[in-house]
Amino acid sequence: MHDMTLSELEQLGDDVAVSEGTFQMDEDAFRLFYERTSRPVWAYLSRMSGDAKLADDLLQEAYYRFLRANVSHESDAHRRNYLFRIATNLVRDMRRRPRVAESPLADGIGNIEHADPQSADAANGAVRRLDLARSMARLKPRERDLLWLAYAQGSSHKEIAETLGLKAASIKLLLFRARRRLAGLLREGGR
Amino acid sequence: MIAECVREADVLEAVAFGRWPDRCGDLAAHVASCEVCSDLVEVARALHDDRAWLCREAQPPSAGMVWWRATIRARAEAARTAARPISVLQGIAGACFVGAAAGIATVAWHSIHWMDRIGELAVSLESRRADIASASTFAAGHGLPILIAVAAGLVLAPLALYITLADD
Repeated sequence: MHDMTLSELEQLGDDVAVSEGTFQMDEDAFRLFYERTSRPVWAYLSRMSGDAKLADDLLQEAYYRFLRANVSHESDAHRRNYLFRIATNLVRDMRRRPRVAESPLADGIGNIEHADPQSADAANGAVRRLDLARSMARLKPRERDLLWLAYAQGSSHKEIAETLGLKAASIKLLLFRARRRLAGLLREGGR
Repeated sequence: MIAECVREADVLEAVAFGRWPDRCGDLAAHVASCEVCSDLVEVARALHDDRAWLCREAQPPSAGMVWWRATIRARAEAARTAARPISVLQGIAGACFVGAAAGIATVAWHSIHWMDRIGELAVSLESRRADIASASTFAAGHGLPILIAVAAGLVLAPLALYITLADD
């Protein structure tokens, strides 16, 4: 596979301009959907991957796969859940790949560095986020996914089951165990 | 075993809507005495605040940029998919060439042996059959260039095949 030259890309860009129907969703609808979902999806990818820079790449890939899937959705909620399912699978794929160095706390530490030193609230917030990042890093990947979707994203058990490919009946128990574990870790200060 | 509390939904709602802990009244007193709700507050509040902060700090690329990149990539993939049959045909042609070259090499190899045998036979004959011997020697002398050409073909054909299929 060879890299495309700039002229080839421009040619493709011209083709794009004159031809429509590459994706089922049109550009205007995509813009609206993207504006509503990009930040929550980025937050999810960032926290689940533990790497803000990686989250940027995964975000682009998630929307590309979403568009390429050309699936019709019955509602906006269904569309959003589908996007989160893609994001979840991307993070799973990423976890399977060997990494040079695990850095799940990288963005948490960065947050403290960038916090306003004159603001006690900001400093406290940074410390809490670092505690959370440390605690989350000690959970199993599935526990992280469950907890984020349930308590950060506010998804229902049915939506979580669809996103993670689990049985809806098992969510309650899994969530309870994960919650108890994270609460314990947070009380210990993430250590 | 799952420990449950009937007030979990109230606690979750208070955290989600930013009412916790200042505007919760008796709910705060309940949480202080309920292990289940205490865990729930600890976790839900941390995750809710973290998400809010991440969403504020996030700098995702613009929708137009994501759309443009996705469209370009989709077009490039479509172009590659369309070009795949051509590459396959080129590969088949290359394979045919290699097969033909191998066939020619085999025939040439057998011819050389056959001519060598004639040469040996001719040498063993008396001098009055010198014309046959000289013809055999001539054929054997020209067998080497043919062998080199076939060998070059065998080396170059897979190379050409690799270059043809490298774009896939």
